Amino acid sequence: MDADTTYRPLFLNHIDDSLRTEIKRNCSVDVELCMECGKCSGGCPNGHVFDYTPRKIVQLVKLGDRQTLMTMDALWICLSCQACVDRCPSGIDIPAILDYMREKACRTGAKTSRPLVRLFHELVLSSIRGHGRVSELDVALKYNWKAGQPFKDARLGMRMLFKGKFRFYGNGVKQRAEVRRLFEKSVIAKDVS
Amino acid sequence: MTKAGKTALIIGGGVAGMEAALRIGQAGFDCVLAEKEEVLGGTVLQLSSSFPRWENPLELVEERISQLKLCGRIKIMTATSAIESRVSKHGYSVTLQSRNGETTNLDIDAVVLATGFGMMDVSVYGEYGYGIYPEVVNSLEFEARIKAWSAGLGKVPEGVAFFKCVGSRDRSKGYPYCSKICCMYTAKQAGLVKDMFPYTKVYVFYMDYRAAGKCYEEFVREVIEKKHVTYVRGRPAKILPEGGKLLVRAEDTLIGIPIEVSVDIVVLASAAVPRRETGPLAEMFGAKADKYGFLERQRFSLAKASDRVFFAGGCGFPLETLAAQQEGASAAAEVIELFAHE
Repeated sequence: MDADTTYRPLFLNHIDDSLRTEIKRNCSVDVELCMECGKCSGGCPNGHVFDYTPRKIVQLVKLGDRQTLMTMDALWICLSCQACVDRCPSGIDIPAILDYMREKACRTGAKTSRPLVRLFHELVLSSIRGHGRVSELDVALKYNWKAGQPFKDARLGMRMLFKGKFRFYGNGVKQRAEVRRLFEKSVIAKDVS
Repeated sequence: MTKAGKTALIIGGGVAGMEAALRIGQAGFDCVLAEKEEVLGGTVLQLSSSFPRWENPLELVEERISQLKLCGRIKIMTATSAIESRVSKHGYSVTLQSRNGETTNLDIDAVVLATGFGMMDVSVYGEYGYGIYPEVVNSLEFEARIKAWSAGLGKVPEGVAFFKCVGSRDRSKGYPYCSKICCMYTAKQAGLVKDMFPYTKVYVFYMDYRAAGKCYEEFVREVIEKKHVTYVRGRPAKILPEGGKLLVRAEDTLIGIPIEVSVDIVVLASAAVPRRETGPLAEMFGAKADKYGFLERQRFSLAKASDRVFFAGGCGFPLETLAAQQEGASAAAEVIELFAHE
């Protein structure tokens, strides 16, 4: 929904089903089951700061609005707590839709209003990919550095270091190759679209 | 078992009236079934399918007509209207008039009004242009289109839009009540269009869909999920003719943005209203009507409007075929009870 000088309402004839079918195929989520009751949004712990509430996210999929789905705030504020799925009378897995759209947003380099959240997301994932689990020190240092705030929480970090909360080595799991294989598998599966 | 001397007059040969006549006749009383049109069946004759089972409603009409003829106690008078009635010793003395002017006088002991419902004239909504644009039709007129399509006639539409609540739930130009049946028959019609033309885009504009009945919710969900009819939440604001098509303007109230859609046909689910004939008939027999003109039942009664006057079907309130049958049977039960105790 880009700002345009000549105003035109959304033209339903131009909506294709491609996003809906894509989501159905790749996430096994059928948005046509949605009854638009809003139970997902009412119980969403972050709903009050979402620009598009979970119900509206489902509606955006129906309207095939890829652009909004990839650039909206909610994409990076969602905690994936699964409360919406758990409560949905139609069992619609909204976090799965968001996971899928996050992947797409990262790969297509879509603009985001929350670059730091996205950075953190990418660092956590790459840390898991590298070590088999999250290395807090690794993520914290890289995050602070890339976010341009290298001394943020430095004192807290020192205290944690002295208490032995950070480990410099031996942090990864034994079967890292297995984890990496999982990553490759999931990426390939999602690239099919 | 014969019960001499008791006759019931049923006015209206639709589903409710036929059911009432059949039950009273089968109980051993005489019946006169007066129908204004040339054939029995009423509104159902115009329908091409039914909810929630996609059955052909004509089969029901045919079966009932053959049962009525078999019964032997029912006199069917088509193309006949009741024009006058006087209170007599045991009930009413009614004058019936056929279309070619012949009159018949009849002494009856009870009357069942089953005059059905009609469709509101929705040309009052200038924004929709009903009566101006030939491709804006009401739901009953659309049933004829469906019949033509299934006979292989008519052009295949690229897009069809259904508007619900046209006149219903409208306190300014229409009626404040919900017409009750539009949600279901609109889903049925939208599903039929998709069955015939899978590549036609079908939109249903709704405020909410009211599917209260056995298998009704499942029926609507089937139309949305299996037949892929697009339900758009919002009441359309305007129809504009554009490039030989009809451009519909509305708001998608689920997301909160104005939308447009271009279609070939717009179907207006007009409010169901009492028929013009119901008022004078009610007056003739001393039956009470509500402020809209639908007949009112007496307290704790299923079908009684006043002494020896009963009613069934759409003249009380719009209803679906099965409910009309049930009301016909209810009215018959009250008539039979009355006759049996005299």
